[in-house]
Amino acid sequence: MYQVNPQSKDKALAMNLLTDATRDHIDHWLTKYPHDQRRSALIGALHAAQDQNGGWLSEEIMKAVAEYLEIPPVWVYEAANFYSMFFTQPVGKNKIAICTNISCMLRGADKVVKYAEAKLGIKLGETTADGQVTLVKEEECVAACTGAPMMIINGHYHENLTEAKIDELLGGLS
Amino acid sequence: MTDTTNKVADNTVSIEIDGRAVQAEKGSMIIEAADREGIKIPRFCYHKKLSIAANCRMCMVDVEKAPKPMPACATPVMDGMKVYTQSKRATDAQRNVMEFLLINHPLDCPICDQGGECELQDVSMGYGRDVSRYVDSKRVVKDENLGSLIATDMTRCILCTRCVRFLNEVAGTDELGGIGRGDKTNISTAVGNSVQSEMSGNIIDLCPVGALTNKPFRYKARAWELMATSAVSMHDGIGSNLYYHTRNGEILRTVPQDNDEVNEAWISDRDRYAIHGFKNTKNRLLYPMIKENGQWNELSWEDALATLVKQFKKFDGEEIALFTSNYASTEEYYLLKQLFDNLGSHDCEHRINITDFSEHDRLPRVDVKLAQVAKQKKVVIVGGNIRHEQPILNHKIRQAWLNGAEVSSFGPKSYGANYNLLHDFVGNQINWVKQLGSLAKSVAEISKQYPSGSLADWVKSQKTDEDINHLAKQLLKDGVNALFIVGQVSEAHPQANMIKALTAWLAQVTAGQVNELIAGSNTSGAFLAGLHSPGDIKQKSHSLNIIYQAEIQDFADQAAIKNALTNSDFSVAFNAYCDESLLSRVDLVFPIALLPEITGSLVSNYGERQVSMVAQKAPGLTKPGWRVLRVLGNLLGHSGFEYEDINDVMAKTVKFQSQDPVINQDCQVNDVEVKGLALFANHGIYDTDPLCRRSEPLQTSALATSDTVFVNPKDLISIGFNEGDLVTVEQEGRYAELTLAVTSSIAEGTAMVNMGRTSALNLNASELNVGIIGVQS
Repeated sequence: MYQVNPQSKDKALAMNLLTDATRDHIDHWLTKYPHDQRRSALIGALHAAQDQNGGWLSEEIMKAVAEYLEIPPVWVYEAANFYSMFFTQPVGKNKIAICTNISCMLRGADKVVKYAEAKLGIKLGETTADGQVTLVKEEECVAACTGAPMMIINGHYHENLTEAKIDELLGGLS
Repeated sequence: MTDTTNKVADNTVSIEIDGRAVQAEKGSMIIEAADREGIKIPRFCYHKKLSIAANCRMCMVDVEKAPKPMPACATPVMDGMKVYTQSKRATDAQRNVMEFLLINHPLDCPICDQGGECELQDVSMGYGRDVSRYVDSKRVVKDENLGSLIATDMTRCILCTRCVRFLNEVAGTDELGGIGRGDKTNISTAVGNSVQSEMSGNIIDLCPVGALTNKPFRYKARAWELMATSAVSMHDGIGSNLYYHTRNGEILRTVPQDNDEVNEAWISDRDRYAIHGFKNTKNRLLYPMIKENGQWNELSWEDALATLVKQFKKFDGEEIALFTSNYASTEEYYLLKQLFDNLGSHDCEHRINITDFSEHDRLPRVDVKLAQVAKQKKVVIVGGNIRHEQPILNHKIRQAWLNGAEVSSFGPKSYGANYNLLHDFVGNQINWVKQLGSLAKSVAEISKQYPSGSLADWVKSQKTDEDINHLAKQLLKDGVNALFIVGQVSEAHPQANMIKALTAWLAQVTAGQVNELIAGSNTSGAFLAGLHSPGDIKQKSHSLNIIYQAEIQDFADQAAIKNALTNSDFSVAFNAYCDESLLSRVDLVFPIALLPEITGSLVSNYGERQVSMVAQKAPGLTKPGWRVLRVLGNLLGHSGFEYEDINDVMAKTVKFQSQDPVINQDCQVNDVEVKGLALFANHGIYDTDPLCRRSEPLQTSALATSDTVFVNPKDLISIGFNEGDLVTVEQEGRYAELTLAVTSSIAEGTAMVNMGRTSALNLNASELNVGIIGVQS
């Protein structure tokens, strides 16, 4: 039998920090799994919490998610630090993730990174001074190798990148 | 003639490891079969008591017909399977894994505490390359502070996750996790959290490298300088098996000794770190001393014993009383009994930690052996913080819960167990007993059976509610056979005998079983030796009081014993430690060795007699108690004290026969009333004996208690003080100055005071009426 160890019944932080919309979203994910395997709702819950919190997960909000799901805080912390789509430091308004895995690398991802870095004046993992753009530190393969090199801007795929296309994409950000 | 038929039980399969035919249980892993056969397979992440992770990949073996090497810890045995642990494919795989594991491992063995007992070091001697091919930079991990017990050097971690799994599966606290991904993974806590489990020290033993090491033992000694002495814990009734690791007669650390019937492979932090109390020498007695005109003067053993003999001869037997606590050896108890019988004294008492003397002393009722507790399906805890009282028992209850058992609890506090409680009935010290009475009423109404005598009327007068009825119905179901665990809160309760009678009746009607817990590691030994008298002997006045291995803090009624000592003509302490509160009330002290400094036997809560060997040299002129008592017997001219060595005394104590305890269910109803707040005399996990109280690592750890009085937040208004205020707890004109704190884990109307601390020395646990008033001085 699988059992989650007892967790604090106090949900004050979760009720305080998580908005109604976020809690509804988590509740929706919770309906998909048996109660003793509610840990599975964590990814969905973290997405909702991150969206609510300006694109990143603070320690407080991770604790709130743990409280709400009644799972150990360290499980939330593990997941948030494992997946590249979760951010545990403040980020800019727009997140640009350039794939540098094997297919994209062979198709010139390094040049794409250099060009984007030069254009924005920041390194991978940094945010522009105006808080508009964050270059995501690393992105694993997202199964878009047919359109390599590629980048993800705010969750949308952009493939077959050229310098002109990057100019256009970055220019279109606001 | 031997049976030559090749009969194989249904659930076993035959496999072959390195050409040897091996029988293995169906579904078990190759590594288990190999371990049983003594065939060595290197491993880091596999541990027999933890779940299988198969993430270190060190245990690669060659399995016939398999296309690649397989991890022995995660490959189930199949009938006819042929396994090779030494073939080229197996050893190549092991060497390759070893090379990867060593990539990020620092070469700091010379300054690493694990050096000499390091699994990585050992295995790399066998499988590692002598030169590293790796030229890039190595991973460095920042260390966290995990508290006073565990030191970390996480750069050395090889990510086997044994510690993570232990804290998840055994400790149940989920305090560590694997943070990050791939080569950047590291083991750490969730931000700002620390490791607070009462069993946390076990991750030190589990860690195969020097990432997690014993903090107080850090840089103290090398593994090969240490000598191991087999011993038994003196800190709780479990009797955990230990090894004391000593160098030059000094205990430097404690590690568990495997015993599947008792502590498995674990020990509590209390058992592991209490020995550091020896380092606090402030109140350690080094030589016999006598108080003359208010001055303490050193004197020789001969003079000291002669003085005592003179005192003994001055008084009649009835005028002499003995108080002893429950952590000395059975041999000392036996000799004490022999001595006091010869003196004609009947007032010998080891029950100094209890408050209800309405029944005769007896052994605790234990229906279920410790190891079998893990197999129970229904557990009801009656007044006990089992996690702190007997951490290993709590581990067994948790195992039962993991296997689907339901646990309910009655008590003065919601203790925060590491298993879910189906019911958690919390009331102040009077009300939770009434709730237990409600359960009895509910059970009685459903079953149409009532307790006998005055208890029946008391039970009938209780109120029941839905939750109580729910539990009553569950208990009465066929085949439930609940185990009632009567904890140490009940043992020390002013209504202890009523609680035990009620529980015995409940078990009788519901076809349940009862385990009663006792504080102290050798309480049963003291009982078997006969150190008990009817009634509360503190209430009689004695001219000569003897304290044997007990501090004032070990008494339930601390104010009362202080009075008794002050009012007697002469008081003597045979102790390892004497603090000011005791020194100021006795006239003569003898330095007596504590358990790790002597050889002796202990009888556990569960009736097991175990022998603990001398591990440490006692300081100064300290002597083992049995020698002192023997000489005392000789000096008094008593016969039967011709013991040559400890084995002669053990020859007597080994014959002790335990009788089945008889519980008087027709007991007196002891209805207690309180006007203000009801005192709950809490016993902190590290306030149990002189060593724990003096162990700095334990006293600075997260579970240590403080000089506080806790109340429910709702009581703050009527008390008229705020959280953090310095207040006085008043009891019958005696005062204890404490800091006021609040917790909603105790019921309204409760004042929880941490006993066993110097700050509470003016309080009697037996008197429940207390008030909280302003500071008096």
